[in-house]
Amino acid sequence: MEVLLQQIVNGLMLGGVYVMVAVAFTLVIGMLNFLNFTIPALFMVGAVMIWAVMQKGFGPGVDTFLNDTVGAQNKWIVGVVVALVVVSLLSLVIERFTYRYMKAKYGDATEHALPLVSSLGFLIIFEHFVIGRWGSDPLTMDSPFGNASFYVGTVQFSTPQTISLALSLAIVFSISLMLKKTKLGRALRSIAERPDTATLMGVDVNRIVPLVYVIAGLLCGIAGVLFAINYTTLDAYIGDKVATIAIAGMVLGGLGNVWGAVVGGLFVGLLEVLSIHWLGASIVKVPIWGMLLLILIIKPTGLFGHSAIGKGKF
Amino acid sequence: MLLEVSGLDVRYGRNHAVKSMDLTIGEGEVVTVLGANGAGKSSLLKAIQGTVKPSGGRVRLGGRDVTGWSAPRRVRDGLVLVPEGRQIFVSLTVHENLQMGAYSRREPVEAEISDIYERFPNLAQRRDMPASVLSGGEQQMLAIGRALLAKPKLMMLDEPSLGLSPILVQQLFQLIDQLNRDGLAILLVEQNTFMALQSAHRAYVLELGETVLQGTPEQLAEEEKKLEAAYLGAS
Repeated sequence: MEVLLQQIVNGLMLGGVYVMVAVAFTLVIGMLNFLNFTIPALFMVGAVMIWAVMQKGFGPGVDTFLNDTVGAQNKWIVGVVVALVVVSLLSLVIERFTYRYMKAKYGDATEHALPLVSSLGFLIIFEHFVIGRWGSDPLTMDSPFGNASFYVGTVQFSTPQTISLALSLAIVFSISLMLKKTKLGRALRSIAERPDTATLMGVDVNRIVPLVYVIAGLLCGIAGVLFAINYTTLDAYIGDKVATIAIAGMVLGGLGNVWGAVVGGLFVGLLEVLSIHWLGASIVKVPIWGMLLLILIIKPTGLFGHSAIGKGKF
Repeated sequence: MLLEVSGLDVRYGRNHAVKSMDLTIGEGEVVTVLGANGAGKSSLLKAIQGTVKPSGGRVRLGGRDVTGWSAPRRVRDGLVLVPEGRQIFVSLTVHENLQMGAYSRREPVEAEISDIYERFPNLAQRRDMPASVLSGGEQQMLAIGRALLAKPKLMMLDEPSLGLSPILVQQLFQLIDQLNRDGLAILLVEQNTFMALQSAHRAYVLELGETVLQGTPEQLAEEEKKLEAAYLGAS
């Protein structure tokens, strides 16, 4: 019983990472109606950036400079800032080439096959930049917070993991509140439903869409950073591994539904940890993807979605 | 002149939808553009609003050349289109739809939203419901209310009577007359020729992208036979 409780806690903690990636996927699908494969790329870039700052990835010169200026124990803050700045800038570049260029050239923002394929291109290119620079072996990092933890009864809670989970839920809650209550949120929902009519209201779609990319990019970047800090081992393909599971979580929750992505993300985290516990690590993808296929067959709208494919679902 | 369109051309690939169109609207005027399906009426409105790029010609709003302006910038300058089929946001509430209408404005609009609710009590009753619950007539009220909240100098309506019952069409045109009496200039695209000519000060008749007839409703009545031929698509 205690072992199981511990596994459930671990699963929910891991789910916190999937939640943010699943929300990023669902935001882009809900708003722009396409499965954005640069999301795994940005997750990976976020994780690799904090790793590189912490573990001399940018060379001994930079590392010495950081140790002299901010101090070794504060390097992680620099890592977080670098990761978030880099993913934000990359998000803007990606928006240019996946969304804006396609819309300008083909005139139809809802043609989603083209951005999907170009986003896949970005994923592969980013992964190979990282492999080219830092190799394909696992990159390990010393957690800046060591093994800080506390107990509730006999169940152990890692302090940074608990903070990460709370942070990811807080971020998703803020996004959901922004969508519901603010002028920007209304504009985003109107674009999700009818981009052309939103333009008639005076919404400058070309200014707001990059913002969607940056929000989704930051979600992935933060998730990547938290993953690196908590699980300390990563590689160039970490984005693929996490994102494929997050997609399963998003589909479970219902495409385009933010709180569905939260429930789905936590659930797949739980499912992954419990599958490893009961079935072993080698087979863990089978229950997750089996669940995904089952959902697609039985209830393609997921738990909370309104429609399987479509728009305007916040 | 409030709106001055000169030599406007709209092409979609090989399809020449609007051919060298000239059109003017003065302050406080109601102008209607009539014509059969495919005559280029909607393309004309889209080019005036800026959602479709014209391949030639100029659009002037209040004396300023706005041809190169984006649609949102034209909205900020008082040019508002109520699109064909109303196109309300069904995933937003009635109230949020009205708030979207005021998107381009910075000042508070709560008082103006209250005015809209006073004008359309049906909308007030459904204030916090998703706009998908509205009937066709209520949707048209919402679409017009939403457009009014942008504080337009010129409101363009694309086929507003489409799909409405005769009584609702009557009410719609009463509303158009009322808005015009309050000083709003209106460009009305319609297939309901009879009703449109009753409200309009001047009319243009389009056929295959070209103006074949223009003038006051009285002048048009004299050429009624010609008008009928154009409307039915015969020549």
